[in-house]
Amino acid sequence: MKRFGRTARQLWQRWLQRRIPPSRKVTLDQRRIFIFPTGYGFLFLLIAALLFIGGINYENNLLLGFSFLLVSLFLIAILHTFRNLAGVTLVAGGMRPGFAGARGALEVRVQGGAHAHRSLWLRWPGAVAEEVSVEPGQQQSLWLTVQLSRRGRQDSGRLRVETRYPLGLLRSWSLVDLDHQCLAWPKPLPGGECPASGGEDDAGQQHQRGGNEEFEGLRSYVAGDSLRLVDWKSYARGRGLNTKQFSDPAEGRLWLEWQRLPGVDPESRYSRLCYWVLELDRAGERYGLILPDGSLEPDLGPLQRERALEILALSGEGGG
Amino acid sequence: MARVYQVPRHAFPWLLAGALLASLPHLWRGPLWLAVVVPVLLGWRTLIQRGVLAMPGKLIRFPLLLAVIGATLYSHGTVLGPEAGVTLLVAAFALKMLEMFRLRDAYVAIILASFVLATTFLFSRDPLTTLYIGVALVVVMAALVGINDPESGVSPWRHLRQSGLMILQALPLMLVFFVLVPRMPPLWNLQVNQQQAKTGMSDSMSPGEISRLSRQSGIAFRVEFDGEVPPPAQRYWRGLTYGWFDGRRWSQALPPEVRQQEYLRFPNGPSPEWYERLLAERGEPDWRYRVVMERTGQQWLYALSVPFSNRQEVGLARDLRLVRRTDIESTFDYQVDSYQMPVAHQGLPEWERRFYTSLPQEGGNPRATQMAKDWRASATGDGAYITRLLLWFNQEEFYYTLEPPLLGENTVDEFLFRTRRGFCEHYASSFAFMLRAAGIPARIVAGYQGGELNPLGNHLLVRQYDAHVWVEAWLPGQGWVEFDPTGAVAPTRIEQGLDAALAEYGESALTGLAGALRGVPLFARLSLLADYIEFGWAKWVLGYSQQNQLEFLSRWLGKVTPQRMVMALAAVGGVIMLAMLLWMLWRVRRPRLVWWQREHRRMTQMLSRRGVPLAPHLTSAQIVQIASEYFPAAGQPLQDWQRCYDTIAYRKEITEPMVLRRQLRRLRRLVGRRLIRPIRLNPKTDLQREA
Repeated sequence: MKRFGRTARQLWQRWLQRRIPPSRKVTLDQRRIFIFPTGYGFLFLLIAALLFIGGINYENNLLLGFSFLLVSLFLIAILHTFRNLAGVTLVAGGMRPGFAGARGALEVRVQGGAHAHRSLWLRWPGAVAEEVSVEPGQQQSLWLTVQLSRRGRQDSGRLRVETRYPLGLLRSWSLVDLDHQCLAWPKPLPGGECPASGGEDDAGQQHQRGGNEEFEGLRSYVAGDSLRLVDWKSYARGRGLNTKQFSDPAEGRLWLEWQRLPGVDPESRYSRLCYWVLELDRAGERYGLILPDGSLEPDLGPLQRERALEILALSGEGGG
Repeated sequence: MARVYQVPRHAFPWLLAGALLASLPHLWRGPLWLAVVVPVLLGWRTLIQRGVLAMPGKLIRFPLLLAVIGATLYSHGTVLGPEAGVTLLVAAFALKMLEMFRLRDAYVAIILASFVLATTFLFSRDPLTTLYIGVALVVVMAALVGINDPESGVSPWRHLRQSGLMILQALPLMLVFFVLVPRMPPLWNLQVNQQQAKTGMSDSMSPGEISRLSRQSGIAFRVEFDGEVPPPAQRYWRGLTYGWFDGRRWSQALPPEVRQQEYLRFPNGPSPEWYERLLAERGEPDWRYRVVMERTGQQWLYALSVPFSNRQEVGLARDLRLVRRTDIESTFDYQVDSYQMPVAHQGLPEWERRFYTSLPQEGGNPRATQMAKDWRASATGDGAYITRLLLWFNQEEFYYTLEPPLLGENTVDEFLFRTRRGFCEHYASSFAFMLRAAGIPARIVAGYQGGELNPLGNHLLVRQYDAHVWVEAWLPGQGWVEFDPTGAVAPTRIEQGLDAALAEYGESALTGLAGALRGVPLFARLSLLADYIEFGWAKWVLGYSQQNQLEFLSRWLGKVTPQRMVMALAAVGGVIMLAMLLWMLWRVRRPRLVWWQREHRRMTQMLSRRGVPLAPHLTSAQIVQIASEYFPAAGQPLQDWQRCYDTIAYRKEITEPMVLRRQLRRLRRLVGRRLIRPIRLNPKTDLQREA
């Protein structure tokens, strides 16, 4: 029975794959839209059926007419619910990575067709749905959370787009593969020695460094510079954003190395490294990364953090 | 507990209005407490929505439900049956509004509202009610649209527009269903209308019964003639006959020796001998007409002279009246061919003679009996006796009145010789008594006499106050012959109707507003129009039955079989659905133009019609330039138009838009007048071509 269920699911997935192949941009049309009554739809039809029986038994043509009107309304609702989804274009947008085990977010841009689309519910498998309405010819951007299970690039699965507008008696939906992926950083794992080498000196040296570097001067702020290094005093005097420059002694350059975590399994090594990247970033230290399949020049600031987390996420995937 | 579901702000007005509209007709009709409880509950609900009160808990709702059931029991004595059931339904529905914790509750309440709305049709079926229910359904569905649009800050009117549009689109489909879905006989007998009073004639008549009917202006039936409408004096709508007299009450009865089968003939049933003879004797029908009856809760049908009907469920009785197999519980219509023919060949068997001359035994009404015997003895024949009797009615001091004095033991004696004030039942009753006392077989016929002609639909409208009874007597060689003693006393009743007849005696049948309004010409004309509409309604909507459906469909489908009906239903319904889908998907909403843009469009359209080739999206200057080449005569106004247009279109502030608007329109018209003589463009090239 279980196997039967699995084969059925596989068949269904394969059928879906053929019918709605993956694409970064999908416009929903009759081939991609499914429609079925909701529970309320069946309740509505039940009421219509009761009125029909009442009309027959009471020989009351108006009751019959009312019941026919309800059924016609239901049929018209099929068209409206279908139309509410038809013509919607879904485009895979940006991505917000997250740590493995937590949530990331994927952007989906919803573009309207010739008419308005109201109350569309979008969600990735296993995640919370978000509601959006699009006016004709307009576009709405929606960040949908994704549950990230493991480190690396993660396929989002099929996006479920659903609507019950206008009457809620029917549900029309589509399952779209937007070929959208979310990046999962390693889950930070605190503890252990900092697996770093700072130039010729040993790893412990960085801790004594407080205030050792020499102030060299100011240069104008570049996006990506650490906010901690911004000269806020001069900014307050109206001289614009400037970044404090320190002399860059060799001992301030830390290399976080994969190799320096012997006896730890690979995934945990990434987690450790991730933890230290975050720690060093918070401390405002310069750091670089050396991984078996790549390295990152030492630097600091949010940009560096992003880059470090990214190569940690992709390392070991091959070609990542 | 999870967060309580909040009905969106923009949906709530429709939910409230829908609930109110759905229950309003029942509040009008139902017990008083309902009319108090429902508005209070809805007001309560509004306060909850406003956040003033919290949604009541089970401890409040449950006792309320019990109280409502108790009140229903108190008012109706039961919670079953349509009246009590609907009362309970409406109250429970209003209570449901206080139990809205989840989205599901809102759905259930709205779907319930449409059900409550439909139950109104159990009690009222006129076109206005139907219109009301249509409008109310739009509101209820607007609430459904509203709860499906969780966005905030949406205009409530958008829901109404959406729901109105959907119902308009559903109407053609509904019509197709209405016409094509096979009508079935009732699945089981619901016994629903037991509480509803039977209306119109009953199967017996005692003094005062018909005059009671005469105070009602309700509609008995309408008749549509195929050809000439008979004159008033011939409009005797026979409904039933009373053959049994107990001294006070005339009732319908069959002598014990006659079997129902021989007396009543239904299509597909056995055909008695008298029916065969009738069929053989009849010639061409004198009148062909269609009667559309209102609900009576009884079986009697009304028709002229000797009637034959086409209906399967309509039978003919030996006393020449039409009877329906089952009680008329909803609007019913039937086609009749009436033959004015003597029915002497039907014969008067001995049992029938005995039955139709029988009188109560105990020697009641001695004076009348004596007079009948004396007069019959001195008369040359039955005919002469009857003539003398009618003349006597005509010449003695008899009064036609709706308020006759009460009669004692010997009703006939007292009426004929003492009170002499009576309504048709008094005259018919005493006349039939006098005939029987003289040994002439006689029976009383009850039905309606007259009817008002509605010139709009050329149909007769017969109301309850046209109720009438008269007498038929068996004359050797002639068969059953009609006599109307009321006509002898008050001929106006027969010629002009009850009102005119009563007016002669200073009375009026209808009192109060209805009576007063009848005299106002505008009201009379409006009521004719209303009657015309109602007749169409009764004929085409309320009376559309299995038989009508078969007749109607056989015209289109040839032989009507269930398969063909289903196919027709699928085909027509499918075509409509498809057409609507295409319309919905490919309808491109043209952007709304402001007035000067419209003016621009009109100008280009006008020029294009006159043959100026204009590409789309030209500026006003380009348009004017091209047009001026074609129509030099219009050059000046065209330039003026352009200047005016540019002023409006490109200047930021316009001080007097109305003035400019008028000016622009005037200039366009001026251009239009100058577009008369087009000249050929490029005469040179034309010449060259000729050369």
